[in-house]
Formats: sequence, structure tokens, C-alpha cells
Amino acid sequence: MPSGRSLRISQVGLRGIVGNGLTAAQVLDFAAAFGTFLDEPGTVVLGRDPRASGIMMREGVVAGLLATGHNVVDLGVTSTPVIQHSIRRLEARGGISIGASHNSAEWNALKFYGSRGSYLSSGESSELLDIYHLKKFDFKEWHALGQLREDGAATDAYLDDLSKTFDLPRLARFRVLVDCANGTSAPILRRINERFGTQFILINEPLEGRAFAHEPVTTRKMVALQLAPLVKLVGADAGFLFDIDSDRVAFSTETGHATSEEMVLVLLSDFFLEQGPGKIVITNVSTTALLEDVAERYGGQVVRVAVGRQSAIDTLTGYRAEQVAVVGEGTGAVMRPSFRAIYDGIASMLAILTIMDRRGQTLSRLLDGYPQYSILKGKIPLKTHLIPNMFQEIEDRFPDGRFNHTDGLRIDWPGRWVHVRVSQTEPLIRVICEQRGDAPHGLFNEVMDLVRSYAS
Amino acid sequence: MSRAHQLKISVSGIRGVVGDFLTPNLACAFAQAFGTYVGPGPVVVGRDTRASGLMIEHAVTSGLLAAGCEVVKVGIAPTPTIQVYVDEIRASGGIAVTASHNPPEYNALKLFNREGLFFNNYERTELLDLYHQSEFRQATNDEIRRVISDPDTPPRRHIARVLAHVDVEKIRARRFRVALDGVNGAGSLMSQHFLREVLNCELFAISVDPTKPFPREAEPKPEVLGDLQQLIRDNRADIAFAQDPDGDRLAVGDETGRILDNDDVLALAVDCALRKRKGPVVVNLTSSSVIDDVVARHGCRVYRAPVGEANVVERMKAANAVIGGEGSNGGIIFPAVQYCRDSYLGMAFLLERLAETGSAMSELAGTLPRYYRRLGKMSFQHGRLGSMMQALEALYPGAKTDRTDGLKLTLDNGWIHVRASNTEPILRVAAEARTESELDELYRKAESVG
Repeated sequence: MPSGRSLRISQVGLRGIVGNGLTAAQVLDFAAAFGTFLDEPGTVVLGRDPRASGIMMREGVVAGLLATGHNVVDLGVTSTPVIQHSIRRLEARGGISIGASHNSAEWNALKFYGSRGSYLSSGESSELLDIYHLKKFDFKEWHALGQLREDGAATDAYLDDLSKTFDLPRLARFRVLVDCANGTSAPILRRINERFGTQFILINEPLEGRAFAHEPVTTRKMVALQLAPLVKLVGADAGFLFDIDSDRVAFSTETGHATSEEMVLVLLSDFFLEQGPGKIVITNVSTTALLEDVAERYGGQVVRVAVGRQSAIDTLTGYRAEQVAVVGEGTGAVMRPSFRAIYDGIASMLAILTIMDRRGQTLSRLLDGYPQYSILKGKIPLKTHLIPNMFQEIEDRFPDGRFNHTDGLRIDWPGRWVHVRVSQTEPLIRVICEQRGDAPHGLFNEVMDLVRSYAS
Repeated sequence: MSRAHQLKISVSGIRGVVGDFLTPNLACAFAQAFGTYVGPGPVVVGRDTRASGLMIEHAVTSGLLAAGCEVVKVGIAPTPTIQVYVDEIRASGGIAVTASHNPPEYNALKLFNREGLFFNNYERTELLDLYHQSEFRQATNDEIRRVISDPDTPPRRHIARVLAHVDVEKIRARRFRVALDGVNGAGSLMSQHFLREVLNCELFAISVDPTKPFPREAEPKPEVLGDLQQLIRDNRADIAFAQDPDGDRLAVGDETGRILDNDDVLALAVDCALRKRKGPVVVNLTSSSVIDDVVARHGCRVYRAPVGEANVVERMKAANAVIGGEGSNGGIIFPAVQYCRDSYLGMAFLLERLAETGSAMSELAGTLPRYYRRLGKMSFQHGRLGSMMQALEALYPGAKTDRTDGLKLTLDNGWIHVRASNTEPILRVAAEARTESELDELYRKAESVG
């Protein structure tokens, strides 16, 4: 393949560039593997994001599930949180989402959910993967195949639930600008406006299959590009940016300041720890140290795990839902297990608006209340076989720090840290460096230079 | 049977028992090979009513989309209707998900070219090679096209094509009493509409619920049409029709409750066609001599093709035939509608003939010369086929021999045709003679080489 690796089959599922790595055959095999993995025939919920390739993948997934005896409920184009919610509502055995969330339009992926809409544990994922590789699927005989139906009630049922947790009519007092990035958040937010009178003003609203208005990543940079200046211009109270499948969110203050994506988790931790002092926050080793400051204020504790949803999910299973205040990543993917163990960008946005409402503060005032941290992030393409040498050299270069090998290498000093890790989805090394106060340019550049010396 | 051939991937396409044999993965890959072969452009996908149809339809659609084709889903539709529609909308090709007359555990893909016809032998070999090479076109996100759903237009277009060749008013005026057994197949709804509304018949229908399983053996053979015979008698029907699950084959019953021999049905249809326009006729080697007699009355010529719809169609095109078909399996092919077996054209022709003549169906059938036919099969061991054929030929030194498809020996008083099945290790034996005793002797001699 000329463009390198455009396919990855891992515990996270199947991800790749359609037509250049990701094929119909793999999609069908994976769906059949999932149907086999679920064992007892039952209902499986299916939904997709608006990518054009989603319809091809949908057909294959439906075939694989029907063939393994499962009834399929197809929600059509919808967000991942709605799919997960519907699994629970319909008491389905599991679900599949077709969508590549923050990747560009030529990518697509399959993700799998268990009963109650939960993410699969590592153990379950590896079993699924084994079945996929073995290719011995439990195809049923002609009279035991599944049935297919559609379900138009999914969004409203999801909103019914959201409205029990959040006082939506009250949040209608905020004018909120939302960049939907042509993704699945748009129809849901439009429906919230219709039903609850909220004032979500949508940009990049049409669902697009071939190309999105911009790269659908929930980063500060992307917020700064379009959303933040517009927020100020229209005089909105806040601006939010969603990825395509609406599980992640980033935001801008009313002053047009594009906030670090790390702050979504910080705000939500603050809010939920205040309601439940002493609870824990589960996050990864790459996320801002501000979390420790916040947790300390409420006698809480931060549990740091390897990057990637899977580590957080696996760690979460070790706790009772009510012990955990919040789980999340610096990428803007946050969940509140006592509500639903689901990353849900729309719920995160509603939580932030609720904080503004309860505390009677603007977003910029809220953020001013935190000590300032500066975070720098970089990425460099790598040569796989040199990775161990690179980590060795970094350790040797900074002998005075505290080492953490949970995921790659993190080195901590009082008031600052640097984290170097290998991306799970792309052939990249990621470098994240944070410091209380000003940006740690010196440290960041030194590490980047060192890493770059191992690049191709 | 020595071996169960539960999956067959051949130049005829892909066919097998759903479950461990015919998997969605195979259907998807075959469809992607097909999509690669016909190129980007619309491909019509339809299916019969068997339970696995929906699942296979989705697998086929994913393979076609992955190859960059646009997919036009017509849902449950008779195979001839799908073929007509491919031609009507100038699609790149068509796929019917149907195992035709096979039992419900089977399914298969029938593949059509841009004119809605079976591919010729050379094209089918090319397609099979492409499938085996597994180098399919892989459309990118920008190249993947849409799925359109259109269940309503295909039956309308098909019926319009049929009606162009019969005197509709003449049929409508008679308000025939018609009995129908739809085998809960793909034609269930369309046949009711066609007979009741379009042709103004008083319809007595059984097994016309496409959501239910086949209530009888799928192939409309006389011995499985007892319920239809009862329906005729209970309702004093003028004529009765029975279809197979994908609506290409037709069986016919007369007003006495007798199910006609399929060769006789074909002969009557040939007669109808030649009354409208003279020209060549093509039937397969196993079809009855009754066809020759009927065609001779019109002063036209009969050509014989190897068994199989695709072979008959190929020869019909080459000979520019007016009509053709395969006697034993109830297939009438009338190219002015479409080069495919079409039960609807058959129904319309027979009803029109009844209206024209004022005769009863049994009288119409009674005008045909009487032949005695027997079809059977013998199993054989691999490697023994050649010597069996030779032994048979040696029994009849004076016979005219035809080796186009197996061996056909034509004698003064009848003929014997033996050919190996494409799908199982059995020899199909057909014999025909003027009298029952001559038939017995012919058939017994053929069996003696086994």
C-alpha cells in the first residue's frame, strides 16, 4: 500500500481508509465475528455517521448480523451516544457504530458495544478479535436468520433521558453557538431546540458524506479557527465544537477565547466532585495536572491510566459507578459513570452550561478561577524499530525526574511534566508537555528534537 | 446421492445451502467481483421471498457499493421483472437473489448484464476468473455511490411490456375464472394485481403471502399441485396457474383440474407466438417433439440448444428466434418482452388464446399431438460416464446422434437424451415416443447401460 498503513485491526475494532485498506470483506467478517461473539441471538443496534462509505459498511454489517441470527435495529445516521442509549432502551445484546469520529472523511471504522451500551472490556475485545481472525462464524440456518427493522424514536428517547438529568428549559436562557463539523450532533441539537426552546445556533450543520467543513478534531486550534471569533461576534454565551460522532467536545468562552480542550474534563471534574466530594477521577497520563489541584479541593483522587478509551474502561470496571465522579481524556471525551458509562459530547456541553447556570458565572470567569497551566502538544512520524532506543535516551537525558511507564514514558518534576508515547491509531510519536504558568517551550523543544532524531 | 453439493461456485454463479455453505461473505465477494466486472453504474438488486433473501441482499449490496456501483434495490420481485427493469433503466447489470425452484434452505445469485440477460459463456468464465483472482475494485469514500429503493416501478414496466403483445380488452371482456398458486413467492402480489386488476379475472388464489414460507415443493410439478387442483374444482375455474418462488416458471391446469405437461404448455405458447409472427423457435434438446409438430404447422424452423436458460437464450439471439424455452421446466421465453423465462407472458398468451377460440383449456391442450415422455435420473461413478454414453450409442447404430449436451439419440419412433447434471453426479435421462409401450422399451434400454 503506497500511503502506508491505512488499516488497523485492534481491540478498538476496525479502522482504516475505505478502498485503500478497509474493505467490504473485513467489515462483513467483523460483523459476523461480533454476531458470533454475542452468542445468544438477540437484538443488535446499529447506527452510522454521515460518511458516504457508511452505507456500504451498513449493508455488510446488517448481512453479518442477520446471518448470525441477530435482529438488527438500524437507527440510520445518528451519534454514538444515541446508539449506546438505544442499546439500553431496547434491552439489546449489543450494538455497532459505523463512523470514524474525529478522522477525516475518507476514513471509517467499526466500534462495538455490549449490552447496556457499554464499551467492550479488553478481555471481550480480544475474544472478538480471536473470532475475527479464526473466521469460524456461527452462521445460522435459513430459518433462524435475524430480522431487520428501523427505529425513528431513538433521538427523542435519548432526549427524554437527557432532560431528566439536565434542566433543558432553564438552559434555554443561554445563546450557544455550535460548530457541528457536518456531523451527527446537528440533527440532535436541532431537535433539542424544537422540544425545549434552547438557543443552539448551529454552523456547519448539513450532514456531509464526502468532505467536512474542516478537520473534525476537538482541539483548541480548531475552535480558534472559526468558532471562537464567531462566538464573540454574535455575542453568544459560549461556543462548542463536536466531532463527527458527537462523543467529544471542545469549547470557546463568550469572549472568543479558544479554551484548551483539556478544560472540558477539568470543569466537569470540578462540578461533579463538588456534588460528590472524595470521589475519584479516572484519566490518562497525558491529561493536565490541573486535575490534581481540582481533586485536592474536594478530597478527591486522580487515577491515571494509559491513553486510549480501553484503559479507562478497564480501570472503571474496578470501581462501583458511584465511587467515580468522572472519567475522561484531554481530548474532550468525558463520561459520568453514575449517569451513563458513555462518552457523550452533548451531555458534556449541557453539564458545562449547567455549571455556568448554577454558579451564575460566565465561562471566562469560571476559567479564571483555576491556576494557569500551559500545555504543548506535538507529533512526529517514527521508525518503529527505534522506539525502545528513543525511550532509553530520553530516560538518560532527564535522570532527575520521576518516571512513569504506564504508557510510553512520562517524567514529572514539581510543577511540570512531559509525556512521550506511541500513538495507537497512527505511526506517530506524541509529545505532551505541561507546566504551571508559562508554556514550557524549552523542555518541549528539547524533547521534540530528541524524538525527531529518531524519525525517518 | 454420493455427495451433497451444498455449495457450488461455477460459471452459473453461486448457489448453496445458507448457513455454513452459502455465507454472506461469499455473496459479498461475488457481488464485488460482479461490480468490478460491469463497472460503476447502477446495478438492480432484487430477491425472491425465501427467508435468507434479505440477508443475502444486504451482503450483495455491500459488495456492489464497495466496487463503486450504484445500487437500485427493487425488493421482492420476480426474476423476469428484475431482468426487464435492468433493461428499462439501462443499468450496468442486475443481480437476483433467488434459488428459483430449489428448496428453501438454498439461495443463489442470478447475474444479468446491462440488457438484463444472462451473460454468455465467455463472459461468465471471465467473471469467475475475476472472482477467484480476488482483485476487486475498491471504491474510496469519494467513489462510493448511493442506494436507491424502487419497489413499485419494476412490476409496472414488466406488465406494460407483456400487455403490448396481447389483446387486453379481449381478455378482460371474458372475465375468466382463474385459480392461482403463488407458492408465497416473489410473484404473489404482482400476479394477483396482474390477473385481478389488469386482466379483469375472477381470481381464486392460494399461497400468495410473500411473508410466509413455501407451502409446497418449490418447483411447480403436477404431483405437488394438489391444492391447486382442488381449488379449480371448488371454484369451477377456467384455467389455473402455478408459479415457482421467483416467478419465472409456469405450470398450467385446465378446467377439469388436470395439470398440463410443461412441454404442452410451451407448445401452446409457441403456437400463440407464431400466430402473431412467424419465425424461428429455439428449445432445449430435452424439449418434446410436440414443439416440432406445432412449429411445422406454421412452416417455421426449430433449433435445439443445450439445456439451461442461458444456452437457450444465447441460441435464440443468434437465430433471431420469435419464441423459445425449455419444455420440461416450464420456461417460456418471449424476446419481444425480454430474453428470459416469464410466467406472466405465458399467462397472458394462454388467456388470450382462450378468449380468441372460446375453447376450454382442456380442448386447447387436446389439439396437440400426443407423445409419451419420461424423465428420470441415474447415479453414476465418476469416470464411468464416457463408457455409459458409448454403450448407449452402440445400442442404436442407426440413430441420429447429437452431442451438443450429453448424448441425444433420435430414432424413427422417438428419442433418448442423457446428460450429466451440472450440479450433482447424476445422469439425467429423458425419453419420448409415440406410444407408451415404445417409451417403456426406450427408457428401459437407456437404463440398461447404468
